Amino acid sequence: MLRYFALLVVAAQLPSEGAVDFNRDIRPLLSDRCFSCHGPDAASRNIKLRLDSEAGMTADLGGRRAVTPGSLEQSELIQRITTENKARRMPPVSSGLRLSPQEIELLKNWVKEGARWQTHWSWIRPERPLLPPVKNSAWPRNAIDFFVLHRLEREGLVPSPQADPYTLIRRVTLDLTGVPPTPEEVDAFVKDPSPAAYEKLVDRLLASPRYGERMAARWLDVARYADTNGYQTDAERVMWRWRDWVIDAFNRNMPFDQFTIEQLAGDLLPNPTLEQRIATGFNRNHRGNGEGGIIPEEYAVEYVADRVETMATAWLGLTAGCARCHSHKYDPISQKEYYQLFAFFNNINERGRYFKYGNTPPLVLAPTREQQELQKKAEAKLAAAEANFAALKPRLETLRRSWEQTLAAGAPSRYTIQQGLARHFDFEKPEAAGQGVSLQPGRFGLAAHFDGKGFLEAGKIREYGFYSRFTLSAWIRPTAADGAILTRAKDISEETGLGLYLKDGKLQLNLVQRWLDDAIRVETESAIPLQEWTHVAATYDGTRVADGVRLYVNGKPQPVKVLLDELNQDFRAPEPWRVGGGNGLRFQGWIDEVRIYDRNLPALEIEVLALDQTLEQVARVREEERSLAQREFLQFAFLETYGPEEIRQAWRQLVEARQQRDQLVASFPTVMVMEEMTPPRPAYFLHRGAYDRPGERVERGVPTSLHPWPAGAPKNRLGLAQWIVSPDNPLTARVIVNRFWQSYFGTGIVKTVEDFGSQGEWPSHPELLDWLAREFIESGWNVKAMQKLIVMSATYRQSAKASRALLERDPENRLLARGPRVRLPAETVRDQALAAAGLLVERIGGPSVKPYQPAGLWRELAGGNDYQQDRGEGLYRRSLYTFWKRTAPPPMMVNFDASSRETCVVRETRTNTPLQALNLMNDVTYLEAARKLAERMIREGGASAESRLQHGFRLVLARLPRARELEVLKDSLRFYLDHYQTHVEAAGKLLEQGDAPRPASLEASELAAYAAVASMILNLDEVVTKP
Amino acid sequence: MTERIVEISRRRLLRDVASGLGVAALANLLSADQGPGQPGLPHFAPRAKRVIYLFMSGGPSQIELFDYKPKLAEWRGTDLPDSVRMGQRLTGMTATQTKFPVVQSLFRFQQHGQSGAWVSELAPYTAKVVDKLTFIRSMHTEAINHDPAVTFFQTGFQLAGRPSIGSWLAYGLGSENQDLPAFVVMISATDGGDQPLYDRLWGSGFLPTRYQGVKFRSSGDPVLYLSNPEGMTAKVRRRFLDDLGKLNQMQFEEVGDPEIQTRIAQYEMAYRMQSSVPELTDLSREPESTFELYGPDSRKPGTFAANCLLARRLAERGVRFIQLFHRGWDHHNNLPEKIVKVCKETDQPAAALVQDLDQRGLLKDTLVVWGGEFGRTVYCQGKLTPEDYGRDHHPRCFTIWMAGGGLKPGLTYGTTDDYSYNIVENPVHVHDLHATILHLLGIDHTRLTYKFQGRYFRLTDVHGSVVRELLA
Repeated sequence: MLRYFALLVVAAQLPSEGAVDFNRDIRPLLSDRCFSCHGPDAASRNIKLRLDSEAGMTADLGGRRAVTPGSLEQSELIQRITTENKARRMPPVSSGLRLSPQEIELLKNWVKEGARWQTHWSWIRPERPLLPPVKNSAWPRNAIDFFVLHRLEREGLVPSPQADPYTLIRRVTLDLTGVPPTPEEVDAFVKDPSPAAYEKLVDRLLASPRYGERMAARWLDVARYADTNGYQTDAERVMWRWRDWVIDAFNRNMPFDQFTIEQLAGDLLPNPTLEQRIATGFNRNHRGNGEGGIIPEEYAVEYVADRVETMATAWLGLTAGCARCHSHKYDPISQKEYYQLFAFFNNINERGRYFKYGNTPPLVLAPTREQQELQKKAEAKLAAAEANFAALKPRLETLRRSWEQTLAAGAPSRYTIQQGLARHFDFEKPEAAGQGVSLQPGRFGLAAHFDGKGFLEAGKIREYGFYSRFTLSAWIRPTAADGAILTRAKDISEETGLGLYLKDGKLQLNLVQRWLDDAIRVETESAIPLQEWTHVAATYDGTRVADGVRLYVNGKPQPVKVLLDELNQDFRAPEPWRVGGGNGLRFQGWIDEVRIYDRNLPALEIEVLALDQTLEQVARVREEERSLAQREFLQFAFLETYGPEEIRQAWRQLVEARQQRDQLVASFPTVMVMEEMTPPRPAYFLHRGAYDRPGERVERGVPTSLHPWPAGAPKNRLGLAQWIVSPDNPLTARVIVNRFWQSYFGTGIVKTVEDFGSQGEWPSHPELLDWLAREFIESGWNVKAMQKLIVMSATYRQSAKASRALLERDPENRLLARGPRVRLPAETVRDQALAAAGLLVERIGGPSVKPYQPAGLWRELAGGNDYQQDRGEGLYRRSLYTFWKRTAPPPMMVNFDASSRETCVVRETRTNTPLQALNLMNDVTYLEAARKLAERMIREGGASAESRLQHGFRLVLARLPRARELEVLKDSLRFYLDHYQTHVEAAGKLLEQGDAPRPASLEASELAAYAAVASMILNLDEVVTKP
Repeated sequence: MTERIVEISRRRLLRDVASGLGVAALANLLSADQGPGQPGLPHFAPRAKRVIYLFMSGGPSQIELFDYKPKLAEWRGTDLPDSVRMGQRLTGMTATQTKFPVVQSLFRFQQHGQSGAWVSELAPYTAKVVDKLTFIRSMHTEAINHDPAVTFFQTGFQLAGRPSIGSWLAYGLGSENQDLPAFVVMISATDGGDQPLYDRLWGSGFLPTRYQGVKFRSSGDPVLYLSNPEGMTAKVRRRFLDDLGKLNQMQFEEVGDPEIQTRIAQYEMAYRMQSSVPELTDLSREPESTFELYGPDSRKPGTFAANCLLARRLAERGVRFIQLFHRGWDHHNNLPEKIVKVCKETDQPAAALVQDLDQRGLLKDTLVVWGGEFGRTVYCQGKLTPEDYGRDHHPRCFTIWMAGGGLKPGLTYGTTDDYSYNIVENPVHVHDLHATILHLLGIDHTRLTYKFQGRYFRLTDVHGSVVRELLA
């Protein structure tokens, strides 16, 4: 039923003149009603007939042909769609599809007229058409207008007059920057008599940094950008550096081909810059699953599929996802070709199970420009400290040698490297003993002896987690092959926490969130001997993978076995450190010299810890015979403790400078990026798209029905990106300019912006689309120039007023006999209110912010921590910086039809609901904005109620209220003044909305009355609509 | 132009303009939020007009509740035979487990009612209404983890992005109430630690966003942004809307866009919701007997019991699809202790809802569905002790029950093997359940479609068949 009516509309829009056009009239019918059985998918063609190619259409099938041009009788297709025999009639009843009498008539006419066949229009390279003739030659301002006017004249329609300047400046300012013009800007424009005034305005807007923010907002929808991982726990990720790259690219007017290449393959460019690598975050913005129990291989396939489908929708306007489980039913993309595209995107060393919290490798460290400056300073400071220290070197050597001389004679003394030492237990004092633990002669002095039941609690001195670096070190002399050496973990078997253990005599480090499936577990390949003093150590570098763990025995790095490498969240346990116990395990034997460091010590320093000598013993070894570790040992003791103050200070400064640099670097955001593996990971055809049903191996390639691979391009993502922006590509330029068009006119020239295939809609102005596509390519993919072209057109500048006759004729404004009038995008609705109220804080980029949101929304869904609303500036940043939690997105954005950011979305949808009304009336965001707008009305709007109301109206809508509107506003204000003067307490309450301070100088009932009127203004249909 | 106007143009404009009705008048035809549904729907006479879906999130154990397996007692502690498991994929949580000891229910089973349905002692209230219920013991699904499994039940697809079942119904059948949304969601408050839920589970996917479920909340505003701010009374709000309407009307006269008329109507609907929703959630006029029926929790906002009572009130007001979510069924360990708690929270209210609807004559055209996203394994996860055990996710068989709207009451459908591991008779896939629910609402599931990305999408994808044996 729906389909039937939709077609009627299409039919109603057909030109009255002209013969049947295959691509416009016939292909959509064949595609929609016939292709699912007689189309490109060989598997579902259980009969030989193919209607998606000319050869198939006219093939001789045992003396019959589907189509014999010119002959209805000898065209089986016509016979079968008209026969009265229900069993033979097509489409079959069981398909639920049918052809209307008009459609059958169209097909008949087409056959009668010779059944001319054409390749689907969007597969044909667009050529720049000649400008069509128009009668009203005074109207067009640029090429766009010729095409629009030509069509209008054919339809017997005339364009609307140009919009008044107030409307025009508001429209173009909102469209190009996403915030409204100020009254000063409006005045300047309206009073400028120059014919170039509008162009000057447009140039100013295109040069504004707000332009990049506005353009980026739609690209974030395409790129499914979000601040969380999207599955189950849906914890935070950090991709805002990629988001800022997009804003910057638009503001610098990066050519769209370069914009494409850097996002798809920036890492494969020669000597890629940091920014080019950050750009590849585009293909990592998809959701990532860290849920316990998933099968990683299954999700690894989903991520790659998401990349393929996003690329196809974003650049090609193709529904490639249809070809994942079977060849495409409508378009010439085979299932094998789908997996050939897949092969470009699977060659990345990523885990199927993403980290539940944070970013999942591959990553780049992505400091902002400011951070890069800070880093330069920190490096310079470090270099200075190094130079300072180096200058002391000659003296240092001499002094150290003479110190060594004094040592050789002195009493023996132990030494422990101090740098980063968090805790050292030497068990020399009697209070160290406890239940089941006694002090006995040990490796050095006394040691703790454990009876297999007791353990020592060592306090909550340090809390190490996911991203921490640390070292655990001890001397042990075990008498049993299993036990806990040093832990910070729950004292229950197989529970959360970190710990160093003996298991079957092997040294094992465990970093556990959940024992079976959320932990890193690494052990030495060989066992250490019982009853012997052995030095053991483990380091972890905070990279969240088993590869970041090192185990040492007697100072030597050990070959290890990775038992589990599935850690995906923090492993902190709210427990004290324990020596000799933890995780339900107990140690039997002696433990001595337990050391915990806040850094992952390098192998040489571990060897120092494992030395069993005193400083004096080492000093007695001849210098040239000392091992590296022995030298390091003396060096540390001298620099940290025994050297002269001047040297110790230079060393301390060096260490501090290094720490400061390291801390700075550790604070840098990362971005998930694309990175190739060598050798490449093979890709396979997957039966029915299932991860566990691989078939033959496939090589990288693109659908053969499209333009050829560019000569000399590498067979990787870079080549693919070059293929996408090849001037021969029939799709990319059309798809992109069509989306630009959508953002100005509300609907694309091809309404199905996501589908340029044969199920997509026929363009309303095909020649215009081709002209724009060619223009875009030949301009060097100049994005700003294309925006300017559109907004400079007479078409765009028309008034949006619609007569009843025109509305009935063209309710969707596809013919463009009037200007666009569509509801503003979600983020503009909010940004506009903040700007008019003077609250908007404009700063480009940075971590996402958390403005007002009703309490409890996160906790209701997921438990745990609720949304932590920002204070201050975070409440008033532009909406594209609002923290986007995928499973609980900001309600204000969702109410106004923002895309979900789950997958690539290119279609802009607009609904009109009571929830939007409630949102604008009662959300603190808009009530606070109303209150601040009221302040501006009173302070800046002069002394009279009338001028104040006019000012408020103008701040939001750019224009002054008309006389009868002003009457309503005045009447309204009088009502509220009366009301709030008699309800002063209510006035006070109304003014409590939001964090912004309320000036004491303004009287409450008056301010509340203006606030109520201001709120009404912010609720006007005109306010949330592009004029 | 918004979607709404597009739809007018498609489905009505031509027809109505042809019959001489003006555009401005047209917009007024659509005063209700979710409109009149799609032309041609329902496809045939419906048996049910609305659905109350009690979603038991986490995966309730069929073995402890409804799928009685007496032989497990003697097999306790023995490994699940490979002949039963048949290489079935396991979740990453037990895939590294080396032993799979089977464990029987700690809870006693008994047959109940005239139908003789088996129910364990965990659900004594449900046991009393078994003759009104239809049990399906042979549900099965494809997903083995929460997110994809819940998403599959809600949208017919494991990955996010498709419309939820409630959105499909709001789109297809529209609203029967001018003052309330067609699709309402309520979530039991939780003290945390349970499996999370996601807004997208009641999202509209590629359908226009006005068909998404509206979440009624137990704290703060029942509907987001429903309440006027302090300092603005309903009377003042009325005046606000009158003036706003005047200004919007002036703008309509200026530019002629019918969308403005729609907006005026939506503000009026919002105003009506400001009284209809509080009236709905105000339980003070319910008699004492109601609270006795639903249990003491029903006085506490945000409990499953209170939400069940609200569900009945929503059903009375013609809301099309009412969905309750209750979490806490994910019993990987300490199952015996945890399941007692969650049954205490849900058993009485769910049974009371069925009884209450029945008493009020609403059950005959209301469909109630109770169930989770999958079942649980017969083998123990973690440590098996005399009093304690856990169970992992199990997609291959589990039990749900339904009641009312055109079903055969007292029927128990489908059989599993002695381990409750595989289905031996009458399997019902998630797509089949969806097809059956739509059928009861008068919808041919193959004909409720929406064209997106060139394809006609359905709730049931390209699968599903109506389980006719369940129908009265």
